[in-house]
Amino acid sequence: MRVFSSQAAAEASTSDGLTVEGIIANNWVIYDENESDWKSHAAAIAQSIHLIKKRLRWKELIPKLEMLSEELNKEDLWDDPSHAGKISREHGSIMGKIKAANAFEQELFEHIDMIKLAREENDTELESESMNALLALRRNIKEKELEALLAGEHDPCPCFIEVQAGAGGTESMDWASMVMQMYKKWAESRHFGVAVVEEIAGEMAGIKRATIRVDGDYAYGYAKAEVGAHRLVRISPFDSNKRRHTSFASVAVIPILGDGFSHVQINESDLKIERFRAGGAGGQHVNTTESAVRITHIPTGVTASCQNERSQHQNKASAMSVLQSRVDQLEMQRQAQKNAEHTQSLTDINFGSQIRSYVLHPYRMVKDHRTDYEVSDPDSVLEGDLDGFILSYLSASLDKNEDD
Amino acid sequence: MMKSSSFTRATLSLSSILSLRPKPGRVAFCSAAKPKPQTPLYLRPPEFRATLSDLRKWHIWAKTEACNFSAVDGGAESSLLRRELRWLVEDAVEQPGLVWEEMNEEGGREVAMRACLEELYEMWKERIEERRPFQYVVGCEHWRDLILSVEEGVLIPRPETEVIVDLVDAAVKADEELRDGYWADLGTGSGALAIAVARVLGGGGGGGGRVAAVDLSPIAVAVASYNVERYNLQERICVRLGSWFDPLEDLRGELSGLVSNPPYIPSDDIDGLQAEVSRHEPRLALDGGPNGMDDLIHLCNGAASMLKPRAFFAFETNGEMQSKFLVDYMDTKMKGSFCRLNIISDFAGIQRFVTGYRSA
Repeated sequence: MRVFSSQAAAEASTSDGLTVEGIIANNWVIYDENESDWKSHAAAIAQSIHLIKKRLRWKELIPKLEMLSEELNKEDLWDDPSHAGKISREHGSIMGKIKAANAFEQELFEHIDMIKLAREENDTELESESMNALLALRRNIKEKELEALLAGEHDPCPCFIEVQAGAGGTESMDWASMVMQMYKKWAESRHFGVAVVEEIAGEMAGIKRATIRVDGDYAYGYAKAEVGAHRLVRISPFDSNKRRHTSFASVAVIPILGDGFSHVQINESDLKIERFRAGGAGGQHVNTTESAVRITHIPTGVTASCQNERSQHQNKASAMSVLQSRVDQLEMQRQAQKNAEHTQSLTDINFGSQIRSYVLHPYRMVKDHRTDYEVSDPDSVLEGDLDGFILSYLSASLDKNEDD
Repeated sequence: MMKSSSFTRATLSLSSILSLRPKPGRVAFCSAAKPKPQTPLYLRPPEFRATLSDLRKWHIWAKTEACNFSAVDGGAESSLLRRELRWLVEDAVEQPGLVWEEMNEEGGREVAMRACLEELYEMWKERIEERRPFQYVVGCEHWRDLILSVEEGVLIPRPETEVIVDLVDAAVKADEELRDGYWADLGTGSGALAIAVARVLGGGGGGGGRVAAVDLSPIAVAVASYNVERYNLQERICVRLGSWFDPLEDLRGELSGLVSNPPYIPSDDIDGLQAEVSRHEPRLALDGGPNGMDDLIHLCNGAASMLKPRAFFAFETNGEMQSKFLVDYMDTKMKGSFCRLNIISDFAGIQRFVTGYRSA
C-alpha cells in the first residue's frame, strides 16, 4: 500500500547555522546583480524565498498537506474517482511547491558554504565558480518568485479573453480592437496559442465585441489581471474637428476548465440555439459562408456565439465551449460568494470598474489605477508589453490578501 | 448554364442509365464516362513559392476588393468576404499560422503555397467579380465535422441540411434496429448526407448499416465517390448513378431509412436568387418544377414501396408551405402508408424538414 506522507521540512541552514530568517535579519545591503558580493546575492535570494513562502501561504501549507495525506491514505478514496483525482492532484501540487522551495534553500546554503570554504583555502577558481552559481540562483529564483504568484486553483488553465466596446460609436470600437490587438500580441510574445472565437466588426472600423481563446501554461492566471474597464484618452482620428475623446473597452477573462474539474451539467433542452445566416428563405436559396450560431442557456441567461468557424457545426461546438466556461464561471462565483475567503478577490473581478487609463494626449502615459504602476510609453504597452502591469497587480493583490 | 448541358432529367432518366446500372453493392458509375474530380486547394501539394512581401501585396489588394464590395442580392458582403479571404489564405498557404504572424513584418522570406500568386489573384477576382461561390473557389465546403470536396455541377451542402443528420441520429437511437439496415440518400450531390449518415450508423459500435448514395449527375457521382474514399467509407457507401429510386430496384421494400435534400425551388424563382446560386450552382439540384414540389412528391410515392415497415425518412423542403403540403399529401393521398409524420424547423425557425416512418 502506498503511504502518502507530508514530510514537513526541518529548518535548513549553512554549516555554521545561518538560516534564511537569519540572513534577512542581518539586513545585508542588496546591490545590483553585477556586483560580485556574496552577501548581496544571498540577501536577494533569501528575500525571494521568503516571498515565495509567503505567497504559498507556507504556514497553512504544512497542515493542509497533512490533511490531504490522511485523505489519500483512506481505503475508500477511489470509490469517488473524481474526488480522488482532485485530492491527489492537490497533494502533488503542494508537495511540488514545498520541495521546490526547500531545494532553493538547500542550494543557497551549499553555495554559501562553498564560498566560505574557498576563501579559507584561497581557492579563487572555486570561489568564482560558486559566486557564479549563486548569481544564477538569484536570477532563477526571481522568475520563480513571479510564478509563485499564480497559485490559484484555475490559474494553470487556458482561457477566453473577451473585449467589448463601450458606448461612443466608432471611436470606442476602434479602441476595443486596439485592446484586442494588445492581448493577441501579448499572448504571442508569451508563446501562447491564440485563436479568434468570435469577432463582431464595427460598421466603420474596429470591433463591437471579440473573443479569443488563449492556450498555454498559466494563461488564465496571468490574463485574469486584465479584467475590468480600460480607458483611452486621445484625439480621435474619427473626429474631423480633432477633439479629444475618452472611450472605454471592457475586458472579461474566463478560465477554460479541463477534464479534471467539475463542470456544470448543461442540458440540451435548456438551450436556445439561434442561427444567423443572410437571406430569409434559407436552404437551397442561399449560399453564403455565414453560419454564425448563438446559444442561450435559458436557466442562467448566459449566452455565447461564434461565427468564425467554417461550418455551422463547428460554430456551434465552439460557442458551446464558450458557454460551458461561462456557466462554469458563474457557478464558481456563486460558490465563492458562499465562501468568505474569496469575497476579497470577488470584488476585484468587477467588469465595470475602471482598472487602467491609456492617455495619448495631451501627455503620454499608461497607468494602472489598482497598483499605480505606470509606463510613459503607451506604444509599447499597446504592442503587448503588459507583463509589468500584470505582475505588479498579481503581487499587490496577493500581498493584500495575505495581510487580511 | 446547366440547362444547356446535356444532363437534364428527362434525357437521362431511363434510357442510357438503366443499361449501365451495375450490380448492387458495387461502387457504381460507368468508368468510361467517369469525370475526374478536382482536388480541393487545401489538399494540393505545396509546390509553389512566394515571398511574404508579394503575398502581403496580394492580401492588401484582396482585402480592399472585399471592403469595397456590396451585393444588392443579399449574397456576398464585405465582412463575410474578409472572413473568406482569411480562409483562402489558410487553405492556400502551407503554414498559415506562421504567415499570419509575419504578414505585417518586413522581409522577403519565402513561403510554400498550394497555388501560385497569379492563381490567387484569379481566384479572388472570380469570387468578387463573377460571384463564384467561395466553396467552388477553394474546392471544399466545411459541413458538420466534415470537409467535403465540391466543384461546379455539385450543390454546395447547406448548413440547414446538417440537421437531417441529427434527426437520423435520434431515430437510430430510438430504434437500434434501424442502425444495421440499408439506407439511401437520394440526390446525394457531394455525398454529404450519405457520409454523415454512414458515420452515424457506424457510431454505435459493431458493424452498422450501409448507405446507397444516388445522383443523376455524373459529376456529382464522381465527387461523392471521391469524398466517400477520403473518409474511407467505400465499404459502407455505394454511390450509384441514376434518377431517384431507379438504381435501387434491388432494394425495393428493404430500405431501413431514406434521406433526401431534393431540388425544391419553384422554377420561376431561380433566376432571382443571389448570383452565387443562380449563376453557378447546378439547376438540376435546385429546380423543383413549377411549384417546387415535383421531386418531393416523386420521393413520397416511391418511399411507400421502397421502405420496409417501420423505416425512417427525412426530407428537406422549401419551408412551411411545402412541408404542410407534403404531410397533408401523405395523410390523405397515401393514407395508411406512413405514420408519425412530423414537421421540424431549422435553426432559423423555418419549417424545413418532414420526417416520418413507413407504417408497420
